[in-house]
Amino acid sequence: MKNLLRYLITRVLLTVPMLLILLTLVFVVLRVMPGDPVSAMLGAHAPERVIEQKKEELGLNRPILAQYLSYLSQLARFDLGDSMIFKQRVSQPIVEKLPATLELTLVGMFFTLLIGIPLGAFAASRRRSSRDFAIRLYGNVVYCMPVYWMGLMLQLVFGVWLDWLPISGRTGSRAMPSLFERTGFYVLDTLLAGDLAACGDVLLHLFLPSLTLGIVLSGIFVRLTRANMLDVLKSDFILATRARGLPERLVVYRHALKNAFIPILTMLGLQFAILLAGAILTESTFSWPGMGRLLLERIYLRDYPTIQGVIVVFAVFVSLVSLLVDLIYAAVDPRIKY
Amino acid sequence: MVASLFTGCAKKAAPVKTLVYGTTEKVTDMDPASAYDFHTWEIFYNIYQGLLGYPPGETNIVPALAASYTPNDKGDEFTFKLRKGLKFSDGSPFNAQAVKWSIDRVMALKGDPSWLVTDYVKEVTVIDDLTVKFTLNGPVAYFPAVAATVPYYPVSPNVYPVDKIVRDITELKGGKLVGLGAYEAVSFKRDQEVVLEANKNYYGSKPLVPRIIIRYFADATTMRLALEKGEIDLAYKTMNPSDIKDLSKNANFTTYKLSGPYIRYLCFETSESVFKDKRLRQAIAALINRPEIVEKVYLGQNEPLYSMVPKGMIYHTEEFKTVLGDGNLALAEKLLKEAGFTAKKPFKFDLWYTPSHYGDTEVNLAEVMKAQIEKTPAIKVNIKSAEWATYKDQWKAKQMPVFLLGWYPDYIDPDNYTAAFAGTAGSKGMGINFSKPEWDALFTKEQTNTDSTARQQVFEQVQKMWTDEVPTAPIFQGNLFVFTKKNVLDVKIGPTLQFLYNVLRFAE
Repeated sequence: MKNLLRYLITRVLLTVPMLLILLTLVFVVLRVMPGDPVSAMLGAHAPERVIEQKKEELGLNRPILAQYLSYLSQLARFDLGDSMIFKQRVSQPIVEKLPATLELTLVGMFFTLLIGIPLGAFAASRRRSSRDFAIRLYGNVVYCMPVYWMGLMLQLVFGVWLDWLPISGRTGSRAMPSLFERTGFYVLDTLLAGDLAACGDVLLHLFLPSLTLGIVLSGIFVRLTRANMLDVLKSDFILATRARGLPERLVVYRHALKNAFIPILTMLGLQFAILLAGAILTESTFSWPGMGRLLLERIYLRDYPTIQGVIVVFAVFVSLVSLLVDLIYAAVDPRIKY
Repeated sequence: MVASLFTGCAKKAAPVKTLVYGTTEKVTDMDPASAYDFHTWEIFYNIYQGLLGYPPGETNIVPALAASYTPNDKGDEFTFKLRKGLKFSDGSPFNAQAVKWSIDRVMALKGDPSWLVTDYVKEVTVIDDLTVKFTLNGPVAYFPAVAATVPYYPVSPNVYPVDKIVRDITELKGGKLVGLGAYEAVSFKRDQEVVLEANKNYYGSKPLVPRIIIRYFADATTMRLALEKGEIDLAYKTMNPSDIKDLSKNANFTTYKLSGPYIRYLCFETSESVFKDKRLRQAIAALINRPEIVEKVYLGQNEPLYSMVPKGMIYHTEEFKTVLGDGNLALAEKLLKEAGFTAKKPFKFDLWYTPSHYGDTEVNLAEVMKAQIEKTPAIKVNIKSAEWATYKDQWKAKQMPVFLLGWYPDYIDPDNYTAAFAGTAGSKGMGINFSKPEWDALFTKEQTNTDSTARQQVFEQVQKMWTDEVPTAPIFQGNLFVFTKKNVLDVKIGPTLQFLYNVLRFAE
């Protein structure tokens, strides 16, 4: 336990320089690229005097180093600052939009694993067969597929042609989320409100965007699971389980898969970052009101603090997931000790 | 099948008749003193009102919040008599003091559209509770059209701060938009949806659809699919040309084609860039082939434009067609040679566009124009792009020698299509930096003269001069398309492009 605690503290401390490097890069890139929030705010007709006044108000006429140090000291107090464009705390839209993105990415991850792992395991168990080839082809094709194209195709097929599922938003066009919204996780909120119809509506809206994300990322899990399974299936203990007469299904899916799971877990942590990136395009395609759309919108407006705030939050979540994955290792594999 | 499991136990739809309107536009500042974009103004047309306005789908100015107005003989004072008993949507009274407060606020805050007030209005005086006088800087022939624009819309002093622009409704006292329009905004989630409900305190005819939900889409194709799926009842701005073509042929939808005064044009930086020489501007303008652009890029959905004053507007002429033509290679090469450019020594420049502000077709427009211009070996074009915030910055900094822009009118008058680009003050703001005293004198003449014959002569002369100096080159005039389900009726959007929701209705 002492070792685990030391490990946890070390990982948390390592996150700090990672965040610092990331933030510095984002901070510098935002300020050197053309355009600024004042032009975006005031438009083409504002007098020079008004523009200069606004820049002073926002601290944009200070040296970049001074702005940077000021921002770091704010972050050290866990303060993401104020939006430069809207009179609101940066945390406000993040708190509003984050649950939508997390809900999407978590369910997307669920689909990734639901599709990728069983397919990969099956392909490994049928090595060099036509089914193995088909599954590998699937893995390669979906991984190369742009997520927005996948989303559009699913919308067209399931939303329009078959008319089975809704294609945009988190709820129906005429629904009033204010009636049940509490945490921002609509599935949870509708259950807490006891509104099963609304819950159903929310799940239906969640299905296609999360499936889109899930399918695109399942490709890599198919390949990874297959590769690890092939290694494990060659092991002596697998030979022993087969020799004991266990059904092949149990050999593959209970014994081999469990041992092949560690690298898959690692990939899960890494792919969470990709999921968040994919969520940006998915949210645009499905008009999903999450952090991805918020980020795009604020880039358009040059709202520096909000852009930085969103990236900090993304980075923190990626670090947390990565840490969680490492902790799960110990639970999954008793050989791993910290 | 899965859907039906849930919809089987779905709650009944809310009893309030609701129309869902999809758009890819964005809302900017929730403040008439600062917002200067098409869509936010559209929302303001419905939740606020001006002293003057337009009936749905028409171009004649009529009294709105003001029951009447009277100009003085000189035309530099306008006295408005307000309707009695008007109230903001929160029940607070509307009076002349609120009008003065609102105009003074616009002038003090100097937001993007404030020039529509400050360029014309010297001061506003309250005569009594229901009478307010606008004293202008000088006579203005078309002041009623200007006074019908959004910066003149009164806002509640109880809600808006006097000294700050409101970007978001959370900055308003009470956190709610309070206005005098047919609707009030009851819910606002930026980039997600705005919910409007009929304003109980509205003095005019009550909306036939009591609730409008505006849903914002990031992607035009998703919006199209949402319309086809029935998730939205109406889609307006901005569909891709291929989607417009398909939906127009779809018998399940009603297509409204609006020949409005929206124009697209090329701007030249005339003071410092390579386009200081007007022969080069003339050459580029001569090389543009408008019918080809309209066909290739927009699938024939727009109209070639041969003047900055759009077709259908008073005093429109087609000088560019007669003087410079389309794809006029011979003339262009002659001009280029005079300016010292040939195939051996080609004229090189950057053509700029902004990739998303005008829709996804912009890159195609730039590519087609490049191909047209490079039909002569004496020119080499390099296409560059910058996203909107940067684009505006760059034109102000004179970093773009030639760039594509679009224009929706602030008010319906040819002045808004000419002085804004070739008058010294307007031209500077647009990054064109064109300044000629004789042009400014002509603009002053038409702005201060109420005689339509005199104004016609001025505008005809200006349009002729435009083909010589070419501060901008008109390209096409846009048609806008609205698609609705068959049961949605009375979409009335006229040449003013004001979309008033209170006349929309569902078929019985």
